[in-house]
Amino acid sequence: MNNRRFLFWTLTPGFAVLAILALISIAGALYFSVMDRSLRYPDYHFAGLYNYQRLLSDRRFLNALQISATWEIVTVVGSLVVATLLSVLIFETVKSFWIRNLICFAFLAPVLLPRVAAAFIWRFLYSPSLGLINYLVGLTGLGPVEFLADPSLALMSVAIVDIWQWGLFFTVIMLKLLETLPRDPIEAAQLDNARTWEIHAFVTLPMLKAPIISLALVKAVESLRSFDLIYVMTGGGPGTATETLDLYAYQAGINLGGRISYASAMSILLLVLTTIVFTLIWRGIRKWSV
Amino acid sequence: MVRLIRSSLARIFLALMVFVALTPILWTILGAFKRLKDIVTPVPKLFFSPTLENFVTILQNPSIRQGLGHSVIVVGASVIIGALLGVPAAYSLARHVRTLKGDLQFFVLSLRFMPPVAIAIPFIVLYLDLGLYDTLAGLILVYLVTTISTVIWLSVPAFERVPKEIEEAAAMEGCGPGEIFLKFSLPIAMPSLFGALVFTFVLVWNELLLALTLAAGNATLPVVAASITSLGKEVPWGVINASTVILVIPPLVFIGLLMSFINGMMKPARR
Repeated sequence: MNNRRFLFWTLTPGFAVLAILALISIAGALYFSVMDRSLRYPDYHFAGLYNYQRLLSDRRFLNALQISATWEIVTVVGSLVVATLLSVLIFETVKSFWIRNLICFAFLAPVLLPRVAAAFIWRFLYSPSLGLINYLVGLTGLGPVEFLADPSLALMSVAIVDIWQWGLFFTVIMLKLLETLPRDPIEAAQLDNARTWEIHAFVTLPMLKAPIISLALVKAVESLRSFDLIYVMTGGGPGTATETLDLYAYQAGINLGGRISYASAMSILLLVLTTIVFTLIWRGIRKWSV
Repeated sequence: MVRLIRSSLARIFLALMVFVALTPILWTILGAFKRLKDIVTPVPKLFFSPTLENFVTILQNPSIRQGLGHSVIVVGASVIIGALLGVPAAYSLARHVRTLKGDLQFFVLSLRFMPPVAIAIPFIVLYLDLGLYDTLAGLILVYLVTTISTVIWLSVPAFERVPKEIEEAAAMEGCGPGEIFLKFSLPIAMPSLFGALVFTFVLVWNELLLALTLAAGNATLPVVAASITSLGKEVPWGVINASTVILVIPPLVFIGLLMSFINGMMKPARR
């Protein structure tokens, strides 16, 4: 009996708070999404699926959807590619324990920065008139590049900051994973005269398939929280070139007259979409990695 | 010979990457000590007469001082409450729950899928009705979602690594479950738990969206920093750099801890 009481008192408070807060936000968003509530007026009425219908013909929403998808793919793939290449490179060339540790420290620093701070740091670097990067670009003879004001470059410029933070962080984790692998299969491949890149492409990386997939999943979830970075660096601009779904929902729900209901409908769609996509990926992974 | 060239090329490339990782941060720190005339130059200046003006401006600015205070209160309270509720739950999850364990863990993880906007918008309306809008208490309450779930998620593996024999021996001596938890498991798991708490701290310290939407009137440090761009006519780059440095210091202090945390997490795989 004592055991059960212990179990009850340790589990219930934490999970109750989590469940209540999660329930409030989901139920609240669902409720407001079928109303026509706006912060400007105190009263509101039932509006049915009106908000959802409008969303589907809202070109700014469809644009945001596309940008969010691009953002997800670029940052996830970019971080993993950077991490794979760099970690293998370090694993192969740096044998000294101390230098490896120093490199790891350097690579861990960016991810610890608050997103707001990282955004400011890079806005400063990207600045066309006084930025370090444009100075280097200027040395090669090209004119100043408007990294953040050029619609075709802005999203990629912001994505580079994200990859700077997460790609280098994942490099450290992948390096640690490589170090934990047993040596025998690598040595066997070396005896077979396999080249270094072949060893990694066909032996070590396949052995790390499961952890790499979970890293991809972690990154995909984290990439959904791109708001801070984009908000400070471009504010969704120029135009709507970097406006992801959460930025548009923020603009619609809070900044532009507080169309709470419209923004709620948007966040519900976002929630449904991510849940479906992640559940599918989750299942696919489990089938595939067995 | 080819081998030698290739390996030295690889080394140069790695040195370049370390440079890429650190230069942005160091450059900002340097910029924080520059006068505006040393920043607005066609050729970036590496040498200049340093000044503390920017930090003085910042520390005299009441909104930044308040932001710092708010951040400390909000982050401190939400991490402590998150630890008090999350750590015991994680222990029971790791040791006593069998059938529902996977489901509960997935529930905790799935909270992380929720778009922050989806949390923010219903709470704006709710808080306006309850009078909690623009209050620190309201922000702390919402941050509990992040802190409790992160603490639980990261503490379960920490408790699973506590040797079962110790707990069994304590149970043989007649210790109750509460006593075993407090006297044995908690102290043994403490180093990894501390890493989990630090990680949670960094997450909420860096948070912008919820703070911006729910408590803009009682802004935390990221919100204040994000709004500095519109201070006065010309962009005060020196001041922005200085406030970035202040924002960055607390999380960067923990870099060594994060390193040992990663090392600890990787260890069981070696067996």
